[in-house]
Amino acid sequence: MPEKNIDFGKFGASGIKGSEAVARQLDWLAAHIATPVTARRGLMARLHYLTTSDRAWQAAKDAGLTVSDRTLKAWLEGTRRPSKANLERIDAAYRAVRRRNVARHLIARLNREGRGTRVEIHPLDQSGVARQLQRVVAHRTMNVRRWDKIVASWAAGDHQGLDDAWTADVLPDLGSQWGQYEYVKNIGFAA
Amino acid sequence: MSDFDAIDSLLDAVGPQAELPPCQVRRELRERARLSKAQVARALGVSPSTLSGWESGRDPAGEVRTKYAYLLDGLNAKLATETETKTMAEPAAERPVASGTAAAAVTCTSSPEVGQDEDEVELLAVPEPCVLCGRPAEQRVAGFAQHLDPSDCQATPVETPKPEPAAPSTQAHEPRTVRPPRPAGGKGTAPRGRAFQEPSGPADLIHEAVHAVLAEHRGDVEAASAVLLKRAIPDAMRLLDETRKGARYDVIAHPWIPDILKKQTSRGADQIWEARPKWTRPELPPGKHEVTALDINGAYLSALKTHLPLGQLEHSTGFAHDRRRAGVHLITPPAWEHDAVLPNPIGQRDEPGPLWVTEPTLRLLLRLSGPKHGLCEPPQIHESYTSGATENLLEKFRIALKDARDTAIADGDGLTFEYVKAMYSKFVSTMGESNYNRELYRPDWMHIIRSQAFANLWMKALKAHDAGLTVVRAMGTDELHVIGDWRRVFPEGRSVTEVKVKDTYTAGTGTEAGTGQEQ
Repeated sequence: MPEKNIDFGKFGASGIKGSEAVARQLDWLAAHIATPVTARRGLMARLHYLTTSDRAWQAAKDAGLTVSDRTLKAWLEGTRRPSKANLERIDAAYRAVRRRNVARHLIARLNREGRGTRVEIHPLDQSGVARQLQRVVAHRTMNVRRWDKIVASWAAGDHQGLDDAWTADVLPDLGSQWGQYEYVKNIGFAA
Repeated sequence: MSDFDAIDSLLDAVGPQAELPPCQVRRELRERARLSKAQVARALGVSPSTLSGWESGRDPAGEVRTKYAYLLDGLNAKLATETETKTMAEPAAERPVASGTAAAAVTCTSSPEVGQDEDEVELLAVPEPCVLCGRPAEQRVAGFAQHLDPSDCQATPVETPKPEPAAPSTQAHEPRTVRPPRPAGGKGTAPRGRAFQEPSGPADLIHEAVHAVLAEHRGDVEAASAVLLKRAIPDAMRLLDETRKGARYDVIAHPWIPDILKKQTSRGADQIWEARPKWTRPELPPGKHEVTALDINGAYLSALKTHLPLGQLEHSTGFAHDRRRAGVHLITPPAWEHDAVLPNPIGQRDEPGPLWVTEPTLRLLLRLSGPKHGLCEPPQIHESYTSGATENLLEKFRIALKDARDTAIADGDGLTFEYVKAMYSKFVSTMGESNYNRELYRPDWMHIIRSQAFANLWMKALKAHDAGLTVVRAMGTDELHVIGDWRRVFPEGRSVTEVKVKDTYTAGTGTEAGTGQEQ
């Protein structure tokens, strides 16, 4: 891909990978539990989410939360508090399960029966670039019709897959200058 | 000998200088002839700012002085004959037709092809349709005929939010009274010169939705109302899309948002201070008083007309205020010494020190610190997040809603009225970080629109105060309690430019301590 940036930020531009911005926006749309896992309220909300059914608990186990039922019972009753490492595992498992659960609905809403969703791409920040090296990079919008691959790799936590799906399949629709939008300030869309 | 020739010619040139009228009269003459500074300056071969100088104290010299005197003389003679003919022909005429034609004959430059300085306001001899509302406008800015006063772009003649200066306002008001009656449809006439006109405007979207839902529920107003309120947010977004068709700027719905505009916790607030007024006069003048609680109609609807940042907010520090940009600013507010009679424009702030305010609050403070009001020191701006701004982003949207509201009030159509109200109020309250409206993620706009509503209320309080009323309380977005004959200050009614009475109560020494409570 000749348009890809090799050494991004060499002249002082700042931004994040477009695919990372997409993942952030999808996370926002998935509406995770807002209270942090370190608070009791947030911990309980996550544990209850992961133990609503056997399927959910199995999914949590698959996502790396391998604790005995006894420990789980003690956590839920509040007699024991999870260790710091376990708190992180609980949060990671919760995110993974939540993403997997909402993926199907998100795909349906974003595809909108083939009409797709309008995506706003806010270009990278050039305020740190020397004046003579700054380029005009405009704000762009595009309609993305097929979200299956994007959302599926986001749900699976597959960063590389998401990056490929975004950079190789979606971005080139912007035209010959799509390389300017590999790194962005923000990507916004609604579902 | 040649030396003496030169001296002779010089001596000839030194004659009695041409007489010029005083500065006030110079300006008045030009304005009465509906000539812009740019036009006159071009004719005289000077810059518009030089002309401003002549109209505000300086005196021209030399050849150009003679020219200027000639122009003023001519204008004086023309206007004098005109007023005579006017008074003879029709004493009650509000605006002489002759004045328009005569001015056109003098200027010959009011055709749109004439290149204008970007922000030069040009007075039009023949009114052209306003690009915003379609009704005849007397001014042109940057090549577009438009009303300078936002309230002119509305259905009824209105007062401006600020009190008018006494002398020049008579001329400023004059054209307003001769506006032709609006067509019955509620929408303005489309600009001339368009071959094809849109069969229906955005306002019809609202009526269509109401009719469709009513038909669906076979005239059951209760059920229809429930359905309409439920779909108010998506319908408002659809209306917004509709009104932005063919517009210059895109509505940017998901920009990067600085941390100060993000909520700190799930239920917490962000760091923006909206300057909501919550003020009660500390002590009333002695005696018993009849206090009227006034309610400003559609405060948030009117507040949609405000300077909204278009794109992504950019950070800047230590700069003076830029009128072309809008956003949020970290300021140290000035001290407020008029708390006994007027609320503090930054609201009831308990903690001292710098705070983040939005554009309307800053503009209000700058305005009050200006030479005209001189009520406080100018605020200190420390840092800002701003973006290029326009006042017209939601203008068509606002007009569509306002027209629908006016029509609903005229027809006694409570259903449409409630629907419109839900549309604009929910639109404002959910345009930030709300899960009820994910199409638009602009917490900055939400704060700015709210602050604009508060600033509008504040200006109404100032207007009441300047008109000699006693302001007793300014609360929330739309509540203003006054003592005195308020009807000569605010028109009463249900339109957005009018006020309605919420309550009247007696207060003062003799009833109860403090200012008394309504209800």
